Amino acid sequence: MQSKHLIFFVLLLLTTSVFCQIDDLKWKKAYLSYEVPDQFRNRDYSFESDNAAEFLEKSFVNAYWFFISDVDGDNCPFDPSCSSFFIYATEETNVFQATLMFSDRLTRDSNPIKKNKYPWDKNGHYYDPAYNYTLNQERIDYLPPTFIVEDE
Amino acid sequence: MRKSLLIIFFLQPLAIPQSTTFDFYSPQNIKLFANYLFCEEDYLRAIEQYELLENQFVNDTIKFKIMLGYSDLKLYQQSNDLIKSLNHESKLYPDAYLVSMKNELLISHKRLHYIALSSFNLSQQAGFNKLSAISLLYGNEQSIKKSDFVSVFNSAQQNTASFLYDYKFNPPYRSPAWAGIFSAIIPGSGKMYVGEWGDGITGLLLTGLFAVLAYDNFRADHNTRAWIFTGIGAFFYAGNIYGSVATAQIYNAKFNFDFQNGLNLFLEQENYFLPEYDFCN
Repeated sequence: MQSKHLIFFVLLLLTTSVFCQIDDLKWKKAYLSYEVPDQFRNRDYSFESDNAAEFLEKSFVNAYWFFISDVDGDNCPFDPSCSSFFIYATEETNVFQATLMFSDRLTRDSNPIKKNKYPWDKNGHYYDPAYNYTLNQERIDYLPPTFIVEDE
Repeated sequence: MRKSLLIIFFLQPLAIPQSTTFDFYSPQNIKLFANYLFCEEDYLRAIEQYELLENQFVNDTIKFKIMLGYSDLKLYQQSNDLIKSLNHESKLYPDAYLVSMKNELLISHKRLHYIALSSFNLSQQAGFNKLSAISLLYGNEQSIKKSDFVSVFNSAQQNTASFLYDYKFNPPYRSPAWAGIFSAIIPGSGKMYVGEWGDGITGLLLTGLFAVLAYDNFRADHNTRAWIFTGIGAFFYAGNIYGSVATAQIYNAKFNFDFQNGLNLFLEQENYFLPEYDFCN
């Protein structure tokens, strides 16, 4: 083989090895996760409250989250979950009204036929925010059951 | 090899003069390109091109087309701003006036107080009357009788117009107060009155179950248990009354939502009662 050809082949092989290095990055094993992000664990466990009743309510909810819900997993069909609904309801109204809203939510949760009544959230829960139940007509933001809520 | 180089060399001078003599950016060519984009319904780019034209090349037809384009792009205010620059004597002025009415309706969602133009032809007058009438449904004042309202529309539209009028001024709302009262008498009946039968029956069963448990334990002298069940029963009973009132309000909000959707759909199907404009054939 002539030296001219030899140099050509050396260069050719060198190029291949260089590209292989780039390809190594391209074909590197990817660590993908198909798990739905665990939103329900991003909870506020603080006891911050304006009065004794709210403190008591937060204590109950925190205890429920810590001892039961976090261990049991994301099982509530609604978004926000019933316990979070209670917290949001208190923020929207007061502890007494929030308790009534919570009681109503539990009744609705016990109804096995919920399909075609609520819009969906992106994780497949029924979207049922507390502000729709404050008895303030202006606060109601009606969404049809076919709607999928992307940003809450 | 030398031959082909020579051919390429001599071909170049022939190609260069052709490219330099054709002015892509002449007003005529910009207008042609803008018209093409307008006919392709690419209104955003068409308007961009029309706006490159100098004043002496812009006539009322172009202004009206820009107005239509903005309106189609839902830029209603920008569309309405153009009517001021239109010549009142122009043949297209009555049409532009109707487009501005449509824009105003979609901006303000209120009853329109426009005055008919003497230069309206029959179809423009009909469109004007229909738009004025339909704007009634955006306000709360029932200032026209149903028969007068419906008579404005043609026979194909009258059925929908009649439904919309009824739904606006006699909406089949559910009373939140009655829903609460019903649930106070029979737990869950308020929700059934609103049409939420599943929730109503669940409420009735839950409250009934705890009431029976409480009663049974009181009878058997298990007072502690009886009071616990009474408390839980009362919790569900009160929540059910509250929930019935809230559900009636949500039902009414749903009705308003459906009404608004129906009205928008009707107006879009009828193209806001505007005549069809054909600038492309």
